[in-house]
Amino acid sequence: MLMPKKVKYRKQQRGRMRGKAWRGSDLSYGDYGLKALECGWVTDRQIEAARIAMTRYIKRGGKVWIRLFPDKPITKKPAETRMGKGKGAPEQWVAVVRPGKILFEMEGVPRDVAERAMALAAHKLSVPTKVVVREETI
Amino acid sequence: MLRAVRFPAGGVGMRKDITVAAESRDSRGKNEARRLRVSGKIPAVVYGGAPDSVAISVDPKQLAAVLRSGAGHNTIFTLSVAQGESSPVMIVDWQSDPLRGNLLHADLKRIDLSQRLTVKVPVQAAGEAKGVKQQGGVLELVTREVEIECLPDEIPASFTINISELLIGQVIRASDLPLTGSIILLSAADAVLAHVISVRAEAAATTEETAETAAEPEVIKRGKKEEEEAGEDAKKKKK
Repeated sequence: MLMPKKVKYRKQQRGRMRGKAWRGSDLSYGDYGLKALECGWVTDRQIEAARIAMTRYIKRGGKVWIRLFPDKPITKKPAETRMGKGKGAPEQWVAVVRPGKILFEMEGVPRDVAERAMALAAHKLSVPTKVVVREETI
Repeated sequence: MLRAVRFPAGGVGMRKDITVAAESRDSRGKNEARRLRVSGKIPAVVYGGAPDSVAISVDPKQLAAVLRSGAGHNTIFTLSVAQGESSPVMIVDWQSDPLRGNLLHADLKRIDLSQRLTVKVPVQAAGEAKGVKQQGGVLELVTREVEIECLPDEIPASFTINISELLIGQVIRASDLPLTGSIILLSAADAVLAHVISVRAEAAATTEETAETAAEPEVIKRGKKEEEEAGEDAKKKKK
């Protein structure tokens, strides 16, 4: 699973997700991309599941770029624990996604294959997405 | 080294007989810009050359059509400002909404047709690489735009590179582009434009990544000096 190698602090506050993704919202590497339409947290497990779904479908035919990284630790208290006694232990890592963010990019496959692979990957994610194509951006 | 071929399809000379109408605007600020966008126009600015910069409002559909044209943002068109100047301009920068994709703002630059200018020209691949067809590799277009210096009438719509002879491990570099006329390449000559990579290496790399078991990441600790200083500060505060 993706996670940072080093961190300055083990735990973080939850934060807000306001506004749009003004950075990371254009295709930078590939011809096809998966763009988030709403904000949300995408976990390391979801990213890995989406990557596996995509790469299995394209059968080594193309190249995939992951444009998001889960660098936010999410803590959780153990089950049946009373409230208080401090913040829980880090449980998982998430990437904060804002609307417009490109999550994955792909190159080296025909359009129909890319769209199907992206659709499979989108099923693994917790945010609604759409497929974008380089030729069709302005 | 493989030779890149530039087909004449793109053509030379990106000056087109397109006229975009604009109006100068006195209003400034995000609120006025928002009202302008609601009314169906977008704020833009024209600069470069002898006169000062002028804030204008234009129809986004006309600018989007210029961006979508064959030469894209390198198209030189005429900007006609109501009760003002009429000069050849080029779109040098633009902002678009990350979700809807509609234009929000554009920077237009006045072009002196007798002076050389610096532009970024897209690079397109033509053909199917042997490395992909026969060896099962993946073609990667590493550099999609190269920077050149030329006269405005010489700007090519695009550079097309012939990748049909490309095998795994072979590359096409920026220096392989055949430059005609007075075009000078400003991008690094050894910059890789396209190459065919082996997919197996990619697959191996990804499995290695997944094999990494996830414990907690290392927490960066403060150095001894910093801790001592922090301790001294705390003592002083207590006093």
